[in-house]
Amino acid sequence: MSAFLTGAFLATLVAALFATRLYRLLMWYALNSLALGLLALLIGSGLNDPALIISGVLTLLLKAGVIPLVLKRLTQRFALTRQVTPDIKVHYAVVLIPAILVFTFYLAEPIGRMVGGNANSVAVAISSLFLALLLMMEHRNVAPKIIGFLMMENALFLLGTTATGGMPMLVELGIFFDLLIAIVVINLLFRREEAVE
Amino acid sequence: MILFELIAPIVVMFALSFLHADRVRALLALSAFAIMLPAVQLLLQDKPFPLLGDYLIADRLNTYVLLLASVVGAGVALALMTLQRHVQVHPRAYFRFYRFFALFWVGLEMAILSNHMGLYWIGLEMATLSTVYMIKTNATRAAHKEAWNYMIVGAIAISLILFGIILIYAGAKPVLGEEAMYFTALLGAADRIPSPFLFEMGFAIVTVGMFVKMGFFPMNLWLANVERASFYPVAALFSGILESAIMVGFFRFSDVAKIVNFSHLAGFIFVYALLTMFVVAFLIYRAKDFMRLFSLSGIEHMALIALFWTSGGTFAALLHFGAHAFIKPALFLSTGVLESQGRYHIAGALRGYRGLKGKLFWFVVGLLMLAIVSLPPSPMFFSELYGFGSMIALAKSGHHLPAMIAAIVLLLFLLSIIFYRFVELYQSMKYEGEAVEKRVYGSELAALLLFAVGALALLLPFSLAFLRSIA
Amino acid sequence: MIAYAVTILFLLLAAPLLTGVIKSLKMVLLYKRPVSVFQGYRTFSKLLVKETMLSAESSQITRVAPYLVLSPLLVALLFLPPAVSGAWYVSFVDAFTLTGLLSLSTFFLMLLGLDSASSFGGMGSSREAFIAAMVEPAMVLTVFSVSMMAGDLGVGAAGVNLAHRFPAGHTASFVFAAISFFILLIAENGRIPVDNPETHLELTMVHESMILDLSGFYLALIETAASVKFVIFASLFASLFMPFGLELPLLAAFGVFALKLLLIALAVALIEVNTAKLRLFKVPNLLGIAIVFSFLSLITFYVLGA
Repeated sequence: MSAFLTGAFLATLVAALFATRLYRLLMWYALNSLALGLLALLIGSGLNDPALIISGVLTLLLKAGVIPLVLKRLTQRFALTRQVTPDIKVHYAVVLIPAILVFTFYLAEPIGRMVGGNANSVAVAISSLFLALLLMMEHRNVAPKIIGFLMMENALFLLGTTATGGMPMLVELGIFFDLLIAIVVINLLFRREEAVE
Repeated sequence: MILFELIAPIVVMFALSFLHADRVRALLALSAFAIMLPAVQLLLQDKPFPLLGDYLIADRLNTYVLLLASVVGAGVALALMTLQRHVQVHPRAYFRFYRFFALFWVGLEMAILSNHMGLYWIGLEMATLSTVYMIKTNATRAAHKEAWNYMIVGAIAISLILFGIILIYAGAKPVLGEEAMYFTALLGAADRIPSPFLFEMGFAIVTVGMFVKMGFFPMNLWLANVERASFYPVAALFSGILESAIMVGFFRFSDVAKIVNFSHLAGFIFVYALLTMFVVAFLIYRAKDFMRLFSLSGIEHMALIALFWTSGGTFAALLHFGAHAFIKPALFLSTGVLESQGRYHIAGALRGYRGLKGKLFWFVVGLLMLAIVSLPPSPMFFSELYGFGSMIALAKSGHHLPAMIAAIVLLLFLLSIIFYRFVELYQSMKYEGEAVEKRVYGSELAALLLFAVGALALLLPFSLAFLRSIA
Repeated sequence: MIAYAVTILFLLLAAPLLTGVIKSLKMVLLYKRPVSVFQGYRTFSKLLVKETMLSAESSQITRVAPYLVLSPLLVALLFLPPAVSGAWYVSFVDAFTLTGLLSLSTFFLMLLGLDSASSFGGMGSSREAFIAAMVEPAMVLTVFSVSMMAGDLGVGAAGVNLAHRFPAGHTASFVFAAISFFILLIAENGRIPVDNPETHLELTMVHESMILDLSGFYLALIETAASVKFVIFASLFASLFMPFGLELPLLAAFGVFALKLLLIALAVALIEVNTAKLRLFKVPNLLGIAIVFSFLSLITFYVLGA
């Protein structure tokens, strides 16, 4: 089951790399967070770790529910461009993405071996970090870049969950809090955009 | 108690910023001053002083950095009082600036005082996000674009730091458990970390994240452009406070890395810092406006500090660090006056001042311009001497003396390029161009004097003794 | 032996039925009065008695190509993984053979389109080549990856192995391969996000424009080839990616297999109703996903072993 969820995490990220519409991108982000939250719940209940279960629930609520909806609202309110075509053409992406995957999987191999936990999830987390970077790079508009940043946050969460068996509770909550501040700042940046135009 | 004193001014500042009344402006500046009080109090306590369990511990290093940061914050608050006389700023944006300044301080205090990798990261992220809005206070299209730029690249850098922290935590958890998040515990168990590879990997990633955020090698112009687009107090905050907070983290992580594998650490930092110096020296030579010039020179000094610290010259690094933290914000604040004729008017920038205030202003700014390139009375002169000394001492203990001498020669060559450029600029500012009258306000002059006095105070015997005791 | 022959016969006979089911399901979902599910057989028998007209420009190829479109598919039909346990299967056929046979059929279809010398035919052929070029690598990789997971490069043996001992440790790469293969199923059979099998608008069609000039017996052959192709893909999907029910008694196993085919038909119908056709130059996006997922599946399997 955990292998399936990890696979779903990576699959949604790869699908997001090919998305050309903003709402579709938001949907992939929500699904990505959904897989992540369920994975955290699964691992948390396996380890009997209440901290991990709490952060799993928070992930489900915030990242899979609230944040995509808020971003959608922002998109509507500030009339952002919803057609977001990646700068990297599909023909190159088809070669580039597998290359990144092979590279990161081999890069992650020694790390996964040393971490001792679930080596595969560590490899997936590291490669999704790079893929999220690619998502940020291949778009010129701001909104997909934000989603790339959020995906990166997800990848780091996955790494923290699987490589260390859950970070300390305090850190997890702090990361969530910072994420909320990030959303507030993004909102303000968009709002001021109106004033400038 | 001290913790309360640290938080109270910030809360007051945050609350006052909602009032939107002109009378509040002085109070806002006062609240920024109030942060100095607990910083001084901390200095007098016995070290290490636990502020909040094991999470926030004040030791000599971070007390020193907090003191520097609070002085810079106070100086910036002084300069902010006359901000709208130099540039156009919407009153609402002004108050919102203070609101995010308060958030910025929360993040900084957390990052500087934390003994916990996670808290350090949370504080740094909060400080980064709040600066995004501070850049945006300048309501121009360029500032808007650079705010987004800063947000995106800053987020990537911050994510890299978190990535590295997770790897370090994962590497040390088998021996330390949840304790692995504490710097002190990590330092104590550094030689027992079961997988040094994981730690080194994590450390390298953390360092790259930090260096990217400070504008090291690939991102030099990124930082310069961001600072160019924002108001000058924001640039002062960047160079004086935010980079200090990042540097504290670098000091802490590299302390552990020194024990784990010193030669890897030294090789990595030397190559990275020299590369950065090489690029930055030529960028400085080509810089055509004050903001970019100062910003690039900030990168240069950060690279020097990293080099000195890695070579074991703790004293030199900290002295350099303190001097830079005072001199650079002062220069940034002075650009408000220097650039009152427009961005690219370097020639004659130091001419055309009248009255006592004006004379004092150009005198102080002239001194600071020369102090930043380490002319003798400046603390930087001494710190660089000590720093190069420590580099030689390091090489003598190993087998790399010729390589180190080559590195030092390269470094001196690059520094001389920068030195030449600054002296040339100084001459052009003072002796060329027309003398157009410029106005200087009391609060700016006060801020400059505060910084100048601070930089000189670093050379007093007891502050030197304090710095030596940190090592 | 008997089970093998019966399976082949069943697939061959069910082929027009399956496409008919999709068509009528779609009409039901769109609140139209559905055509009979047996419409495929009626069309076939009607076309057999109709006169065969050939355009004056067409050469010998038009007379030969329809057979050559159908025959590789019929050969491929013989090589599919068994639907019931105990049935025969051909063990030496691997991903490359299967893909090669399917491409051979596509190649003659493209020739056929070009040979009619109408502007439509050429356009359809070039579009088909555009799509086929991206389908083939993905198809090879996907089938290869699944057969690696099953522990046997032969497709038939892979189907049997999967049903007997599902590689639970490789769920992730299995799911990736399944996603990739389903996209291929849609793309290769000219289903809606890629091609619309029902319209005759020059902007949209791919498959239809190649066979626009055909009539009578030849058209019947091509239509049969299309439905056989769909049934090949559907049964490959059923036996490679839904590997269960093989151990059941003979009749029950057949029933389960037929249910799986129906399920696939239902899924395709639902997708067709719910999505709009992609612009031709957006099709590579979809196929790009298929290629990346097939790579992903292979890499995940090899490097991570997951």
